[in-house]
Amino acid sequence: MTPLSPDRLVDLYRLMLLNRFLEERLVNLYRQGKIVGGLYRSLGQEATSVGTASALEEGDLLSPLIRNLGSVLARGATPRDVFAQYLGRATSPSRGKEAHLGFCLPDRGIYAGTAMLSTMIPVMAGMLLADGILGKRTVGMTYVGDGATSVGAFHEGINFAAVRRLPLVVVVEFNGWAYSTPFERQCAARTLADKGPGYGIPAETVDGNDVLEVHAAARRAIERARGGGGPTLLECRTYRMKGHAEHDAQSYVPKEELAEWRARDPISRFERELEAGGHLDPGRRRAIHDEISRRLDADLAEAEAAPMPDPAEALRDVYAEGT
Amino acid sequence: MPTNVIMPQMGESIAEGTLTKWLKKPGESVKRDEPLFEISTDKVDAEIPAPVAGVLVQILVEEGKTVPINTVVAVLGEAGEPAGAGEPPPPAAPPKAPEEPPPARETIAPPPSPPPPSVSAPPQPGETVEELLRRRSSPVVRAIAEEHGIDISGIAGTGISGRVTKADILSAVGSGGPKAAPAPAPAPAVPPPPAAPAPLAVSSPAPVVIAPAPAAPIVTFSGSTVVVEPMSAMRRKIAERMVESKHTSAHVTSVFEIDFTNVARLRDRVKERFEAQYGTKLTYMPFIFRAAITALKARPLLNASISGDEIVYHREINLGIAVALDWGLIVPVIRRADDLSLVGLARAANDLANRARTKKLAPDEVAGGTFTITNHGGFGSLFATPVISQPQVGILGVGAIEKRPKVVTMSDGSDTIAVRTMAYVGVTFDHRLIDGAEGDTFMSIVKNTLENERWSELESL
Amino acid sequence: MADPRAKEGAALTLDPPGTGGGTLFIEAIRQALHEEMERDARVLVIGEDVGAYGGAFRATEGLLARFGERRVLDTPISEEAVIGGAIGAALRGLRPVAELQFMDFAARAFDLIVNFAAKYRYRTGLGVPMVVRGPCGAGVHGGPFHSQTPEAWFAHVPGLKVVFPATARDARGLLKSAIRDEDPVLFLEHKFLYRRVRDRIPEGDGAVPIGTAALRREGRDLTIVTYGAMLWTALEAAGELARDGIEAEVLDLRTLRPLDEEAILVSVKRTARCLILHEDTRTMGIGAEVAALVAEKAFGQLDAPVVRVAAPDTPVPFSPPLEEAFLPNTRTLIAAARKLAAW
Repeated sequence: MTPLSPDRLVDLYRLMLLNRFLEERLVNLYRQGKIVGGLYRSLGQEATSVGTASALEEGDLLSPLIRNLGSVLARGATPRDVFAQYLGRATSPSRGKEAHLGFCLPDRGIYAGTAMLSTMIPVMAGMLLADGILGKRTVGMTYVGDGATSVGAFHEGINFAAVRRLPLVVVVEFNGWAYSTPFERQCAARTLADKGPGYGIPAETVDGNDVLEVHAAARRAIERARGGGGPTLLECRTYRMKGHAEHDAQSYVPKEELAEWRARDPISRFERELEAGGHLDPGRRRAIHDEISRRLDADLAEAEAAPMPDPAEALRDVYAEGT
Repeated sequence: MPTNVIMPQMGESIAEGTLTKWLKKPGESVKRDEPLFEISTDKVDAEIPAPVAGVLVQILVEEGKTVPINTVVAVLGEAGEPAGAGEPPPPAAPPKAPEEPPPARETIAPPPSPPPPSVSAPPQPGETVEELLRRRSSPVVRAIAEEHGIDISGIAGTGISGRVTKADILSAVGSGGPKAAPAPAPAPAVPPPPAAPAPLAVSSPAPVVIAPAPAAPIVTFSGSTVVVEPMSAMRRKIAERMVESKHTSAHVTSVFEIDFTNVARLRDRVKERFEAQYGTKLTYMPFIFRAAITALKARPLLNASISGDEIVYHREINLGIAVALDWGLIVPVIRRADDLSLVGLARAANDLANRARTKKLAPDEVAGGTFTITNHGGFGSLFATPVISQPQVGILGVGAIEKRPKVVTMSDGSDTIAVRTMAYVGVTFDHRLIDGAEGDTFMSIVKNTLENERWSELESL
Repeated sequence: MADPRAKEGAALTLDPPGTGGGTLFIEAIRQALHEEMERDARVLVIGEDVGAYGGAFRATEGLLARFGERRVLDTPISEEAVIGGAIGAALRGLRPVAELQFMDFAARAFDLIVNFAAKYRYRTGLGVPMVVRGPCGAGVHGGPFHSQTPEAWFAHVPGLKVVFPATARDARGLLKSAIRDEDPVLFLEHKFLYRRVRDRIPEGDGAVPIGTAALRREGRDLTIVTYGAMLWTALEAAGELARDGIEAEVLDLRTLRPLDEEAILVSVKRTARCLILHEDTRTMGIGAEVAALVAEKAFGQLDAPVVRVAAPDTPVPFSPPLEEAFLPNTRTLIAAARKLAAW
């Protein structure tokens, strides 16, 4: 596998920063009452989203979960799209009818799931079946958390993809918690990769906070898929640094664990690696931070200035036009 | 431009938050997104960042207080800007849409839609289902019956319980079945469902109980000897209210003859100066208002309302003044008329009357009256028995003010005939509450005031 | 007064007596699948045992041989794989026809149908042009889980269409329209009709528009609104009622969502009496919706209350006398119609 170029490395860094800074802006908006509903952060998990999604190629398919903001950013979704979604604007990709990452950007291969976990596995399987029929060599990637591996759709979907040898990468983002349920109450398996052999598919466990390790593992899985080797279960071990949502204080999480994982923050780690490799100095870092801040300022201003949807929109698009 | 800072909703089911700590003091400036205060909710504690950059101009919620979400907790302004309302917070609850001000209990149940002859109101007490079926059949049968002016009860029915079916009535139509009185042909002028009347601002503990008026039978006309036109909304409303009032109150009228000579002389003397000084005409009405107010203060029962078994005394005297319009009748109200001077009464009455004629009255200017005065004499009428405006219990009717010969007893005891300015003024009152003696006592105060009052306010003119 | 259900093997048809021949209901479905897969290369079939086996009820027989395994897909036993697979394929531009072996099992993929497919266009602007078809209905001793008619579960959901043909010609025509529709369509095939109903299928495309009811019998005294296997019960009862001078109008809804409101109201306004007949259990069934519609929009023309004849609120029992007591039949329908006519 060819190593990544310096530019590509800095790209990964930039994407993780964009992920984190964008979420910080969302947190502020939420606390200012400008975003309603819920806000689900991916603090500490940026490397998993960015590392995996960045390994996909043009034309590949992606379906994120709620904590995979970094993955859609890596595939070309803009902060403006994300802000507009959260702010419920008429200009959002879902025209105000859906929240957070519930939108499609078909040109970029981004397809939303529903709130029901793991349903994108059987649906993505169907998408890849179709692309196969159409002669394309598309690879699909979707995410589940450690909790989502307990639902029926996980099993039915992976089994189907496995038996059909579909080019699917299932990223299992193991962050230790499903709301307040720790892994040992979720599943009796030792690791989630242990489930792979049960379906007859390869599985791998990586350090989810090491963006390069994640990226390399994702590339392996994608190449296997594209080559006809079928699905891979890619377990990325990371940690959920915030509560289940912004309204969850995660008092059930032991403070020592949080401290331990804070020391393994994926962005700080990668910064140190980039500095050591001569790809990043304080000047360049500041420039990148500023560039991202300016971009977020501009995109947020644009989204805030956009109008709220017209009430008539609430009745549109239940069926196709004219039916 | 000041900005409101609100208590956010941290979690879908959260309805309130406790403001635990202010991180800035009034007068301090804060950057956008800089932490401004801390909150605590059932689920989480959080630092809340400022929504804009600015100066903390005013703190509206103190530390330790718990408030509903979206409450404005502070105002941020630019340095030197005074505290004022910022942009409104995002609307949380749907806005209330008040109907007619002020919302009070429904006073009168609107009468049901007038049905065809012989098919009147909903189930009568004691009526069985079978009887109901025979009398009211089904919607389509009623519709056909009405259209053809047929009396359902005159047809033998073959449906259940002897009900007239569609087939039955169609066959009766075919053979010219039993007609409803009085006229055969269709084209009835069916009044649309009446609008509910504007309720009086009665803060009564129990709803006013007034028996609903029974529906009037529809009389239909047709042919070339008549021209039919639909009633205006105002006319329909007046019609409905007049009948309702008659069905509600026990109307009794007591008429006094009042000598207006002193008032007339005073008026003649000062009216030009009055108009020049106060910019409004001085008619007889302000004097009459003042006399009525004096009498109402002395006899407050005439300024009351009936609520079930209770008497509601109104603290304010809100005088309704009936104004005849080209297209109908309207009664604007002078609120708290007892606070006004003669000048004030003159101004208020003239202004309301003008605006009534130019259709510029606001809805709350025709509501809330506690007693009404009507000048039916304006058109020459001597006596009248006006209809009380519900839920009031009295109305003063003023007849034509004209010169008449009158027997006057001189100081030496001899009688002579003099020319005096006189009018018949009557009070129509609700005998449920007001007895004859009370009504007459009221009138005698009115009379006494008009005949003997010095009207010192006008002395300066 | 024989019940059509009692006539095992006999053919129910709208064709004039003595016409003979014709295509069976199940054959008409198979024909539609063949014709559509021929006409449009995007159409594919996905389900359990649909390929080599030709489908549990033989609806997909011959498709694998003719179109190959890229377009005729067998899945593991997993309704989520069948429906999820169909949804995904539809999102990528194909026209999948998913078969559920029994529509009772749609409950296993309820989430994907109701939360995913039905709402996707509303949320994202992308439609899901898939068909979910399969056998439903009682009268074959199938017991509680192989006999239900689940139209009410799905007709309630905005974003779905629900179709329920009663004749072979309509089965072919409506399945074609369902496949061509841009939105997810549930296509319910009453298994009792598979081999008991036949029609002459004319030449030509024969697509029947979704959302149109069919007036099967004109009458002036009452309207029987019905669909599915109950159409045949209604026609049988109407014949019997006519001998007593009661002329029943019979309206076959064909599509349950969207309802053909106009057809219902025109008929009821003419006859002034409405009876709704369905095999599904009574409470909260399609009959409740039609009754509300009629009460709301045709009240002034009604000469009697709106009545429903439906199965009682129980699961479908197994033992034949129990199943017979459960199902509405000609006898119970005639009694209700007579009572309504006399009201």
